[in-house]
Formats: sequence, structure tokens, C-alpha cells
Amino acid sequence: MNLFKSFQMAISNIWARKVRSLLTMLGIIIGVVAVIVIVGLGNGLEKYMVDSFKSMGTDLLTVNVVGRGSARTVSTEEMYELVDDYPEYLTSVSPQVPLGGKVKIGNEALSYTSVTGTGEDFMIMKKFSLESGRYIRYVDIDRRNNVAVVGAYINNEWFRGEALGKTLRINGQLFEIIGVLNAETDEIEEGGGDDAIYIPYSVAAKSAGVRNISSYVFGIANEDLVKESKQIIDDKLYDVFGDQDAYRIISLTELLSMMSSMVDIMITILAAIAGISLVVGGIGIMNIMLVSVSERTREIGIRKALGAKRHHILQQFVIEAATTSAIGGLIGIGLGYALSDLASKIIVVALEEEIVVAASTSAALGAFAISAFIGILFGYLPARKAARLNPIDALRYE
Amino acid sequence: MKPLIEFRDLSKIYQMGETEVRAVDGMSMQIMPGEFVAIVGQSGSGKSTCMNIIGCLDVPTSGNYFLGGQDVGELDDDELAEIRNKMVGFIFQQYNLLPKLSVLGNVELPLLYAGLSKSERVEQATKVITKVGLADKINNLPSQLSGGQQQRVSVARALAGNPSVILADEPTGALDSKTGKEVLELLTKLHSEGNTVVLITHDNDIAGQAQRIIRLEDGHIIFNGTPDQEVTHI
Repeated sequence: MNLFKSFQMAISNIWARKVRSLLTMLGIIIGVVAVIVIVGLGNGLEKYMVDSFKSMGTDLLTVNVVGRGSARTVSTEEMYELVDDYPEYLTSVSPQVPLGGKVKIGNEALSYTSVTGTGEDFMIMKKFSLESGRYIRYVDIDRRNNVAVVGAYINNEWFRGEALGKTLRINGQLFEIIGVLNAETDEIEEGGGDDAIYIPYSVAAKSAGVRNISSYVFGIANEDLVKESKQIIDDKLYDVFGDQDAYRIISLTELLSMMSSMVDIMITILAAIAGISLVVGGIGIMNIMLVSVSERTREIGIRKALGAKRHHILQQFVIEAATTSAIGGLIGIGLGYALSDLASKIIVVALEEEIVVAASTSAALGAFAISAFIGILFGYLPARKAARLNPIDALRYE
Repeated sequence: MKPLIEFRDLSKIYQMGETEVRAVDGMSMQIMPGEFVAIVGQSGSGKSTCMNIIGCLDVPTSGNYFLGGQDVGELDDDELAEIRNKMVGFIFQQYNLLPKLSVLGNVELPLLYAGLSKSERVEQATKVITKVGLADKINNLPSQLSGGQQQRVSVARALAGNPSVILADEPTGALDSKTGKEVLELLTKLHSEGNTVVLITHDNDIAGQAQRIIRLEDGHIIFNGTPDQEVTHI
């Protein structure tokens, strides 16, 4: 008796008891759906994280100098020299000087606008683009010109899109707007990334009364050189301070990989929990197969009397269990994909974030393989019981 | 000629709690190929045990059972299954057809386990179904047939594998006298075509149809001869 015949018999037995078969499959279906959706959600979350980090710049290193309270310090010139010394690793550098203070346009005060003093390369490093005008140049920094580049929010909301050439006041000083940036974020809102003003770092440092700039952004030649580049800066700063606590070098790439692995761990744990329902589903299958063996005791007796060997009966019941489970797995995969789509739509509506629940083929195949395996595993015990029935007892069974 | 079936001092003992039940007690007998033998006895006489052992559904506790010259007592579960498949055709009192399979599907079963291909199975099954006169019901389910027709399906199933012995256990027990007679005539016909038929029954009238009667009581043979001899014997 070949496998195909056993499979045919299994299908007809499953079909003959439709409701029961469906209920038996339910555990497997739920388990497979849960695994697919959870893994899909994890993939979506990870992609979302990578995308948002990428937009912040994974090819950048941020350096914060805390200092040691002593006279030792690192100058802006020294930081620029690093770029000159290691051009194959570090492509650019810009100081970052956050400037707290009042921004006024005419008589109106802007309370959420961020003001940052930067170098001339800052725009390129951050991948900003100009809508009109120009960005801050070396000459502006050198001469401490009171010039400003404004974000799309300020341009749109305060100047009706015609900010170029107008003026605004920061801490009472008048600044000329020499450039307007394109929108950075999807939603241009107050306090967001587009509600920003960039001025020369030299001007910002003077205005803030800062002598030594403590925050820098470095551009890296490429993302694979994060580690080496970080080491170069680290060596330099350690030389100056002799203390690793005096400064901090933050790489988004490292942060990202750390967060990714955290998400991975979380998803693995959730998927494992969902996987438990596959086992529960398997036990359901075992239970029904045991009932089925009892109900079909007489049939088994007849088959054995007619010459069925143990392996024939074993094969028949194992294949029936595996088929039940595998059909459940297939239904689960279908539902899993459908539910992933639905979940993506719900997330967009409910959270206003584009997290796509991406059901992966590997998760689907894995879930299917596991469900078929569970069918075989949990079908084996009842099948063995059936195969070992004594034909005389089985024939007498009413 | 060698006997097809031979019991040599064969016993079957069942352990019922504390007590031993000697269902068959030191029995010896032979059945030759082509014979039509009825094993007769009241319930508890040991005839069911005899039938189980002849049909290789059970093995003796002691003594030997030779089927076609082979000692069956030494075989394991799967070897017994193979012997049943190749050498024994069962006809049961309750027909024991599988309700979800068609007439063809039921008759095919022994051939399926014998490993025949689909086309061979259909050919051979169709032949025996035609022989018992049910060619027009070949795709019907057992539930769509009368009792007599169902028993004829089980006769066809017994014949399908071309076995050495046809073993009929109270084949008319569930039938009315008219259809019972028809089934008996079918068995007689099979015998006349050269088949070995062993009939297990409690009914003396039915046993009278056989060539030879083996009468059992308490696990012993109390008579072994032709029906005529038995009448004079009593």
C-alpha cells in the first residue's frame, strides 16, 4: 500500500468528519496565524526602526565632550584636524551648538523652535536639502555673520513660503535669512524637525557664552567603517583627557544594531509563546486521533484480518494526523497573511505610523513544517495503539 | 496428498483471572485441500477458538498448527497478517464490510494489502464481484444493499485474493432462511469449483450441507466424519 493511497484515505476520512476535523485543526490554525503575524510584526518593526535611523544618519558619529572639570580641553581646530589626518575614514565634521533663547519674528515669540549653531558641512551630513538660498558658509563662520537658515515650518507658517531675505531675532540679535530648507519630516509641525533654525557655530558659541564647543558630528566615509572611525576619535580624545568618562562617542549604527537585536529577542520570545499553541494544537490532534482509533477499532480489526500489517495501520493513522495538521497549517498560513495585511492597515489608522506587518515566506514555511511535524509526532502514539490492536478483540468490538 | 490444515495435539488456554479455561484441549485433526468441512458445536465448545487459530488470528498455547505445511505458531504479528492475506478468505457472520467503502473498495482491500497495482486490483475484484452476481452494484455502498447481497460482497472479498482456504464463521447467522440458503449454495458452488471451505456453525442443518462434520464439545472433537455417518452414529 503506497503513501498516495494512505493520503487519499486520510483526505476522505477528514472530509467525512468535516466539523470535527476543523475543530481539531483550530489549535494548529491559531498557532500558525500567531507565529506568522508576530514574526511579521517583528520584521515590520525592525524595518521601521532601520528606516527611521537611516534618516537620522547611520553614517554619522556624534561626539559629546563632558570634560573633566580641569583646564584640559579639545579645540574645534583639533577636531577639524582629525578629518584632515584620516580622510579615508572621516569625511567631514561639524560642531553642534544648541542655543537656548528667544526667537522672535516681528513681535511674535516662537517658543518651540530649536536653534543650532553648525559648521558649513552640517547640511550635507544631515542630508538636508535647500529649497532656496544657500547654507551657512565658512566665511559666515569666520566673520561671525548673523545669518540663518530656516526649516520648512518657519518658512511656511511665518513667512508664507517667502522667508528668504527676511529677518528674525534670536536673543535680541537680528539675523538675515539666507536659506530655506525643504521639509525633513512628513508632518511639518511646531516643535518638529522642521521647526528649526541653523546659524554659524561661531555666532551661536559667542551668543551662548561657550568657549569650548562640546558637541560634534562626524561624517564617516562608509557605514562599514563605524568601528575604526570611532576608534580614531576615541584615541584622540583619550590622548587629551586620559579618561574615557570625559567624552562619549555615539554611533547610530551601533545603537541600531543593539535595538535590532533587542527586537529580535523580543520577537523570538513572542513567537515561541505563539509556538506553544502549536503544541497545544498537536495535543488536540492526538486526543481526536485516540478517539478516532477507538471509534474505528472494528475497522482496524477487519483490515488486520484481511492482511493489513502493523505498518499499514500505523502509516494510515500517522498520515491522517499529519494531513489534518498540515491542512490546518495551510489554512493558518492563508489567514496569517490576511491578518498581517489587516494589522498593517489597523496600525496605520490607529498609530499613524507606517509599520508594515510583513508576513515572511520563511516564517510561513517554518510554521507549515512545524505543524506537519507536530501532526506526525502527536499522531504517532494513537497510530501505534491502533497498529497494536489484537485483531480478534478488534473484530469483537461493538 | 498433504493436508492443508493440520492440528497436532493443539491446545489454547485462556487465563480468566485465577482460572484457566481450556478452550481447545489437545485437539488433532486434518483438512485436505478441496474439502468442505463444517466445524459444529454449541457456544463454549471451542469452535470460535478453532476458527481464530485456523484463520491465523490467534496462535495456539501448545501443540502445532500447520497451514499449507507451515508451522504458524512461530510467526509474529506481521507474518500472521501476511499468511491471512495470502491464504485465508474470511466470511463473517456480521459481514464486516467497511461502511464508507463501495463494494469494489471493500473487495479490493485484501489485494491492496497484498501490494497489487490499482489496475490489477480493479480487474481481479471485478471478476469476483461478477462471480457472486453483484456486477451491477459495484459502486454501491454496503448500506445500499440487502443483507444477502452484503454477505455475497463479503464472499467476493474472501475470494478476491485467491486464498487456500475459505473460512466462513456463521455465514448465514444474520440472514433469513431464504437468503441464508442462497449463501450456502454459493459456498457449495465454490467448493465444487475446487476451493477448500471451512464452515463454522452451531446449526446442524447448515452443517449437514458440508462433506464432513467435525463436532466439538468442551474443546474436544466428539465426532469427525460425514453427515450420514453422524446420523447413524447418533
